[in-house]
Amino acid sequence: MNPNKLDACPQCDLLLRRIDPELGEKAQCPRCAYLLYYPRKHSIERTLALSIAGLILFFPANFLPLMGIKLLGNSHDGSLISGVIGLFNEGLWAVAVLVFVSSILFPLTNVLLSLLISAHLYLNKPNRFLAQWMRWLQHLDEWAMLEVYALGIIVASVKLASTADLKLGLGLYAFIALLLITAMLASSLDRYLFWQRIARLRS
Amino acid sequence: MRYKASALVQGLVRCHDCGRLSRLDAQLPHCPVCGSRLHERMPQSLQRCLAFLLSSYALYLPANIFPIMTVTQIGVTEKHTIIGGIIALIDKDMLPIAILVFVASILVPLLKLLGLSLLLLNVHCRWQRNAKLWTQLYRMIAFVGRWSMLDIFMISILIAVVDLGGVSKVLAGPAATAFAAVVVLTMFAAMSFDPRLIWDKQKIPR
Ligand SMILES: [Zn+2]
Ligand SMILES: [Zn+2]
Repeated sequence: MNPNKLDACPQCDLLLRRIDPELGEKAQCPRCAYLLYYPRKHSIERTLALSIAGLILFFPANFLPLMGIKLLGNSHDGSLISGVIGLFNEGLWAVAVLVFVSSILFPLTNVLLSLLISAHLYLNKPNRFLAQWMRWLQHLDEWAMLEVYALGIIVASVKLASTADLKLGLGLYAFIALLLITAMLASSLDRYLFWQRIARLRS
Repeated sequence: MRYKASALVQGLVRCHDCGRLSRLDAQLPHCPVCGSRLHERMPQSLQRCLAFLLSSYALYLPANIFPIMTVTQIGVTEKHTIIGGIIALIDKDMLPIAILVFVASILVPLLKLLGLSLLLLNVHCRWQRNAKLWTQLYRMIAFVGRWSMLDIFMISILIAVVDLGGVSKVLAGPAATAFAAVVVLTMFAAMSFDPRLIWDKQKIPR
């Protein structure tokens, strides 16, 4: 029995023959229905292009005002980063760190790591940190929560619109674009293919 | 007795990070492809999961009792708990948003706590039925956990935007820290639970 020709389901440990699935096919675990492989078209090229686009959008999305209000002649607007600073100034540093990490730091790291890995795979350039980067990327993924933040923006703007004049800022448009890019990035990155290519580059 | 079909019974260990199988008898502590440490199953899965779970149960109560934010508007200060915020939304005829916040901040954390407790019971008591359904429950819990951050993000946006000095101001309350801790701890609990344990405890079907 050669371990290289076998695979195990990550969620029920069923031993399976390793297969090379065709594009567009989905392979599920026959025992627990876990989605094992789901190969996508031009995964490396798409990941590379999307991570460059994400990097460009990142700074306007985080530092330009998301939205602003006007009430009794006073106006003020806020950005992603000013919410973190506000929480920190109120002494809720643990919540501030959590919001910072899940809406700014990890999404950025995610985009940067995707860029690094896909660029190396695209150029067929071996690097001894490739596997390390890929592992970080997988562990960070759970904690990058831009899509939840987007839902938070919707709820907050509905609440605000009922009490004050609400105007949407440039940062919001950049944020929506960034959200779409990172969602596409997540769905174009084929982990199975990436690990295969990383293993091949090592040998 | 265990399923013959399981990779571990056949002497193979799956790398948690890259998925590569390694022989158990090779005594390799690290995966040859990615260098991450190999474990037959996630180390101390049940103990870790239980510890995180009990801490989140303990924090669930203060998260719901204490105010999560304080809203000052033209000199009037109101304190909102999580439930208070939802009721305020209903009063303002914003039912869909109220339902959204209710699902994300109350229903999801509660179902996560109960679901993880049931999963622990399942493995501990070696329940023999519906292993596939239990695995799917685990997948659902792992998927929905992050959406509970909704309330925390919403408050962070309100703090950033509503800062008009004496006219209007939003401050976060003590429950924000407790609630954020519940979300993080239940995510840790779900991550430390190893769903393969459900299958390890199954008897061989006839
Ligand atoms: Zn399976
Ligand atoms: Zn590995």
